[in-house]
Amino acid sequence: MKSVLFASLLVLGLAGCASQPEVSNLLADRQELKVDPEVIYITAVTELFEERIPQPDGESLLQIQFAVEARSDAELAWKVTWFDAKGMTVPGVGEGYRKASLLTGQTRYFKATAPHSRATSYQLHLREPK
Amino acid sequence: MLIRAVVITAGLAVLAGCAAPTRYIDPAADDGPVAMTMDYRDFEKAATDAVEDMLASGAVNNPNGGRYIMVVSRITNDTMQRIDTDQLTKKIRVALLRSGKVVTTTAVGLNGAEDEMTQKARELRESEEFDQSTVQSKGTLQAPDLSLSGKILQRNHKVGKEQQVEYYIQLSLTELASGLAIWEGETPIIKRGPNKSVTW
Repeated sequence: MKSVLFASLLVLGLAGCASQPEVSNLLADRQELKVDPEVIYITAVTELFEERIPQPDGESLLQIQFAVEARSDAELAWKVTWFDAKGMTVPGVGEGYRKASLLTGQTRYFKATAPHSRATSYQLHLREPK
Repeated sequence: MLIRAVVITAGLAVLAGCAAPTRYIDPAADDGPVAMTMDYRDFEKAATDAVEDMLASGAVNNPNGGRYIMVVSRITNDTMQRIDTDQLTKKIRVALLRSGKVVTTTAVGLNGAEDEMTQKARELRESEEFDQSTVQSKGTLQAPDLSLSGKILQRNHKVGKEQQVEYYIQLSLTELASGLAIWEGETPIIKRGPNKSVTW
């Protein structure tokens, strides 16, 4: 009985000393498109395209375009966060959300261009401005 | 007398309780009320629109390789507000610098150098107090290739019982070698609100 208790304590102690699991590869868990439920109720993202714009130095810039169709008059706010190949954010001009208004039945197309060629992925977040 | 003091104290306490507390606003998550005047969100929108369009259009891609050198020219404030146009141009400069495509010179400007130290440091030539091998040599300053200029316009209208204020942020990027505007952009910012709101 004593040896079982000792072994259990030893295992727990080792578990406490173990290094933290690596968090370097969580890219698969990040959604490219994140739409809040309030927005889904009144609008639909009907298209989401991405392309890379070639640059003279051989690099290219990531650009996305998305379409939003409104089921009723709607206000929304959107923001694109850019990430490099390692999953680190690439800072853009500002951090704020861009506001947009849509009329019932209207489809609007929005574009965003990455601030640097090292941006390889993105997350588009659509939310309802309060 | 005592009753009056109690009433005044209670009144002040109630008023203090109703006042909004001073707090920090995070620009990344600001859903606060919109002002009829131009605020930081308007400058951020205009700068974002301008930089993304400049990058996407290829206007700031130097065909000879390397970075373009840009100088900030005159940004005219034709609004009823006192605006420091650096609020706009600084965001553009920072973003273009981060893009790796454009660097801004602070050694030249319409009203003199933005950083006068570039010239002052050169006045150390011939000074016996300074190790001359550490003083900047002649002919090392880089002349600009591009010039950023623009205008911020304001137009006020009465719309029924409301007022509409229109701001237009117009920017041009001129190639100094040819004098041609190789990129131009305009960001309209339209606000509608109560007539009582002041726009200056």
